[in-house]
Amino acid sequence: MTITDSKPDLRPPARPEKSRRLPPSLSLLFLGELLAVIAAAAMAYGTLRQTNDASAAGSHALEVQRAVLNVSADLTDAETGQRGYLLTGEQTYLDPYNRARSQLAGSLATLRDLVKGNAQSLARADRIASLSEEKIDELKVTIELRRAGKSEQALALVETDRGKNLMDQIRAEQDLIQGNQDDQFRQSQASWQQAAKQSFVVALGSSLVLFVLILIGATVMSRDYRARELQIWVRVGQARLGQKLQGEQRLETLSERVLEFLAGYLDAKIGTLYVQERDGRFRRHAGFALSGDQRSDVVRPGDGLLGQAARENRVLRIDTLPQGYLTAASSLGSASPVELLILPASVDGVVQGVIELGFLERVSQHQEELLTRVSEQLGVALRSAKDRDRLEELLEETQRQSEELQTQQEELRVANEELTEHGDALRTSQAQMESQQVELEQTNAQLEEQTQMLERQRDDLVAAQLALTQKAAELASASEYKSQFLANMSHELRTPLNSTLILARLLADNKPGNLTAEQMKYAQTIASAGTDLLALINDILDLAKIEAGKIDVVVEHIHLGRTLDVLIKTFTPVAQQAGLTFTATLAPGTVDHIDTDSRRLGQILRNLLSNAIKFTPSGGVTLRILSSDEMVTFEVSDTGVGIAAEQQQVVFQAFRQADGSTHRRFGGTGLGLSISRDLARLLGGGIGVRSAQGEGSVFTLTLPKAYRGKPEPVAALAPPPVERRRYETTSTMTAPALIQVGIEDDRTQLQADKRLILIIEDDTRFAEILRDMAHENQFQCVVTHTAKDGLDAAAKYKPGAILLDINLPDQSGLVVLDEIKRQPALRHIPVHIVSVADHSHEALARGAIGYALKPVKREEIMEAFQRLDAKLSQVMRRILVIEDDPEQRLMIRQLLGGADIEIVEVDTAEDAAQRLANSTFDCMILDLSLPDATGLELLERMSQNGDLSFPPTIIYTGQAVTPEQEQSLRRFSHSIILKGARSPERLLDEVMLFLHRVESNLPPESQRMLKAARSREAALEDRRILIVEDDVRNIFALSSVLEPLGAKIEIARNGKEALNLLDARPARGSGAIDLVLMDIMMPEMDGFTAMHEIRKRSEWSKLPIIALTAKAMQDDQEKCLAAGANDYIAKPLDVEKLLSLIRVWLRK
Amino acid sequence: MPDQSDIEMRLLLDAIYHRYHFDFRAYATPSLKRRLRAAMQRFRCDTLSQLQDRALHEPALFPALLDYLTVHVSEMFRDPSYFRALRETVLPVLRTYPSLKVWVAGCSAGEEAYSMAILLHEEGLLARSLIYATDINPRALQRAEAGVFDVASIAGFTDNHRRSGAPVSLSDYYMAAYDSAVFNKALKKHIVFSDHSLATDSVFAEVQLVSCRNVLIYFDRGLQERAIGLFRDSLCHGGFLGIGSKESLRFSRHADAFATVSAEDRIYRLQGATA
Repeated sequence: MTITDSKPDLRPPARPEKSRRLPPSLSLLFLGELLAVIAAAAMAYGTLRQTNDASAAGSHALEVQRAVLNVSADLTDAETGQRGYLLTGEQTYLDPYNRARSQLAGSLATLRDLVKGNAQSLARADRIASLSEEKIDELKVTIELRRAGKSEQALALVETDRGKNLMDQIRAEQDLIQGNQDDQFRQSQASWQQAAKQSFVVALGSSLVLFVLILIGATVMSRDYRARELQIWVRVGQARLGQKLQGEQRLETLSERVLEFLAGYLDAKIGTLYVQERDGRFRRHAGFALSGDQRSDVVRPGDGLLGQAARENRVLRIDTLPQGYLTAASSLGSASPVELLILPASVDGVVQGVIELGFLERVSQHQEELLTRVSEQLGVALRSAKDRDRLEELLEETQRQSEELQTQQEELRVANEELTEHGDALRTSQAQMESQQVELEQTNAQLEEQTQMLERQRDDLVAAQLALTQKAAELASASEYKSQFLANMSHELRTPLNSTLILARLLADNKPGNLTAEQMKYAQTIASAGTDLLALINDILDLAKIEAGKIDVVVEHIHLGRTLDVLIKTFTPVAQQAGLTFTATLAPGTVDHIDTDSRRLGQILRNLLSNAIKFTPSGGVTLRILSSDEMVTFEVSDTGVGIAAEQQQVVFQAFRQADGSTHRRFGGTGLGLSISRDLARLLGGGIGVRSAQGEGSVFTLTLPKAYRGKPEPVAALAPPPVERRRYETTSTMTAPALIQVGIEDDRTQLQADKRLILIIEDDTRFAEILRDMAHENQFQCVVTHTAKDGLDAAAKYKPGAILLDINLPDQSGLVVLDEIKRQPALRHIPVHIVSVADHSHEALARGAIGYALKPVKREEIMEAFQRLDAKLSQVMRRILVIEDDPEQRLMIRQLLGGADIEIVEVDTAEDAAQRLANSTFDCMILDLSLPDATGLELLERMSQNGDLSFPPTIIYTGQAVTPEQEQSLRRFSHSIILKGARSPERLLDEVMLFLHRVESNLPPESQRMLKAARSREAALEDRRILIVEDDVRNIFALSSVLEPLGAKIEIARNGKEALNLLDARPARGSGAIDLVLMDIMMPEMDGFTAMHEIRKRSEWSKLPIIALTAKAMQDDQEKCLAAGANDYIAKPLDVEKLLSLIRVWLRK
Repeated sequence: MPDQSDIEMRLLLDAIYHRYHFDFRAYATPSLKRRLRAAMQRFRCDTLSQLQDRALHEPALFPALLDYLTVHVSEMFRDPSYFRALRETVLPVLRTYPSLKVWVAGCSAGEEAYSMAILLHEEGLLARSLIYATDINPRALQRAEAGVFDVASIAGFTDNHRRSGAPVSLSDYYMAAYDSAVFNKALKKHIVFSDHSLATDSVFAEVQLVSCRNVLIYFDRGLQERAIGLFRDSLCHGGFLGIGSKESLRFSRHADAFATVSAEDRIYRLQGATA
């Protein structure tokens, strides 16, 4: 491992975008290119000039030639004309001569002009001119002679050859001029060729130079561009980090965000962030992809590399990490980072925190640069976050102190008041002293009275004793009553269960062969669950029968040897199957016969033996029979797990076992031993146990040799009553089978882009079924088994939908539903109920989107999923506004209008009904006074007519609402808003709330099912219940639970109204009140007084009253009972509990 | 290591809880200590253990001890600006409810409850309102229910009342005779006085306004949380909560559920769907 230091460049970097100039290298390049271009141009210009000159010289030569020719042509013309004239003498031949003469001067001038740059040629031209003149003169002379008729003379002159000589001289001069010109022309042509060659070389050369320069330029540019890109990457990183640092953040969130960002931006695979504490140590505040063992929470400056980096305030870069120094792991594998960067975040030279990042690849320069650059930025942010946290603490402390100050002030005021009172008291004590004298005298008389009183008290005590005896008798009969009820109940339960079992078995056999393996598994699950339930019911029935004294003892003369034989036959195969030995012996000297009930004896022994076999993993089970003078002892011993001493009594108690998990491991209900013990007592004997954990157990059944009749009543047989739990029997009976065994769900592998459903269901079997169906419907699934876990999971995972059971072990599902709908963050989550108990109205009123009653069919669950699905994907919300005032309608539309909200407006009740019949709405806003009916009438019509949908309703009215009206409206609507200055905002608020909720109308199929389910509650059918309660919320909750079950509800808002109402009814027969639910805190007359008043009247002495109290302490509840309540229930009301209470007290 | 008197205090409070079901165990310790010291003097006990002995064995003495444990000072329309804020900001919203419930928690001798009734009356809302006035001390509740106040304190009340923006004089509401002033029976008709403990009892009704002033200062942090939780559960959505001038929701875990209506007068509102 090597460590390289890099100098931390903590100065803010030069900001390149500020200087808009090109870098010097580039400028130099461009300058070079410019010079090359200019040079090439200059050279090209030079050669161009040369070619021009050459061509000009050429054309000049041509012109000279032409001028020379002109001259000789003119002379020839003149000579030709002269000769013609001389020969013919005709005048016409003189024309060319004359013309030539006149032109010659011009031609000579032109020639002269053309050659004036060349002295030699000029001289020749002059000579030509003079010769021409001479020639012309000669011609002239001859012509004159001819004209004068002297032809001979003229011809002789011509024959002198003088003219010819002249012409030859002229021609020679001309040739010289021309030769001169040709030389010149050739010369310039040569120089033109030279120039052309030169220009080609220049062009080639400059192109090459330019090419090289451009190549260099491109390289430099691309290098600069890349450097610029990286600069931008670094700056963007800085800027984005800046954004992450913005806002007032707690240190924890800040650390998390910073580390997460840096690791993500730099592509680090693992990282930590340490922040300096006030004591100078560094504490880890955030980790990125840390595994459990990679935590070292606190580091002192100087400890390890991290501490060293912090102390020295510089960046440490550690490369070539040894293999296995550190691993970044996912659930699938792990890799070792190859480089570490440790960066202190410091400001003003003080290290505020240290970041350590691990990379799978080499760290590049710019990554490191980014880190060094953000050091100060981070340091500042961490410092201010720390300051903020500290400030927060101080503020809290200040708050506490100010509260403390306030209490002291308050206390001072009290003290002051007291002092004033004391002053008054002193004055009055004087008077009191005097009166005490008188009192003393009175005391004497009182003492005498007290003696008499003591005598009276003695009499009272005797009476109280009598009353107690009576009470004991009552208690006994009540217990018997309960047992009888249980016995009946078990029978009732067995009947439907049997058919369930048979049908499930039939399904599991799959005779027609049309079921999948999965379905057969479901059927088997039903069958095995049913069998468990049946065994439990049988045992409860037995226990109940014994307690109820319903078991008759049939005494027989039993041969013990034969009994043994039967047991050996039965249990030997069972023991063998379990890999155990089984022996049964009759000890020597044991009696042959015993007089007792053979069936019961067999039942007890079978139970003991099967228990022994069940709890013995290896070894053997022995049955030994001994006898003494009076008794016969049956000893069942095993080599099994044994029972700890403190558990030995517990195993005999119903519903309790040595270990809560026992029955899951070994099956059975745990009631066998209780039954055996009770049976043994019934037969006049008893059961004992000797055991130690891990050393096997010996159960002994002792029976008298001859049955001597029933023992005393078996009051002690009942399980120890737990006072507070007596109404929870329904839940505790089912709870043991459903002890928390978490089932597998998707919580460890959630995908953010997939829908998530939360299932809160305590029956693991059913939860598994729901989970599988959720998967089938493309939901991810989290399963919890208690209300508390459910709520926690809802808050943690924020599921898209919830499936909720009502019977949960810790709390009612309705409480969960309520809690979900109360929390703004969870309120929008659609909740569908699946439960065995029917609280559909209550649940729907609380915002559930649907209700399925157990046992549910598969299609119903599918339907539930579909409904949740539809709710999840629903976007458009529909609101029905029923209001006859157009202005108000406009106001509502403006208030609520939005892209995803459709508002349907109607102005009459008739219209509204029609709309409700044809479509569904998410929410309805109703005015109470409509042209054709009142709002209440419309609501009643909606509730009675199943064809109309019934969306959540907000009543928005301008008229005052009387308490009676409010009560009847409350049945349909939670929110009633009186129009006023501040009402629009409340309307908006309530509508938004409802739009998160869901239509409560169910498809017709479910409605029929609900109705059928309701009719089952015979206990409440047509029973009249008086609710005395002033809180509308509670009245609504109570009546919405009770009314659907068939109960007739009467309402009184205080004690006085309750008394009046009771007075107005007959005490018995039709119209009489069957039960009273009494609130305690009420205006006018409270619950205590009302109950006292009711109990004063003899005709109401038996009227069941259940008190509803918000008080939790035991003596508050005793106060309720003392005031005359038959029972009480604590608020907030648990519907489940309340219903069982009502059922208990309504039973005749 | 806790000092001797801390142990004794804990034992005493445990004893009171188990014997009388008053739970002072989560009250703020410094104030409780001072009050118990005063009680020790009053009942002539040298140690808290002696006081505990007497408290357990002399039930008749307990009501007097309870008066020491609970601090009962208040005045009508205390902090007039609070009532002015209620009158101007809160009641216009509450007016939209067909019926109104107000919970005055820790009502002591009833000053706050009567003030609330008068306020509602003056705003024309009393007829459809019900005020729950609760306290743990039965003696204080009896005094509150009687509605009789020392005439000497009425002058201060009247001044507060006027400063709360009242349109009429306080004298419209009481009759003074024999050094006492009795408040109008009509007010009492709308007040339910009841025994309720923020430490042990639960929510009893849905209310639109909770006024609980200078009660939380006597509680430790945990009990403050419980009490605020109760208020939160009790308030209808969009309902209001008023607390004492030195109290704050800022550090409560329920703080997010409430929006501040008036920071100065410590009035908060349970946030609704739109918030």
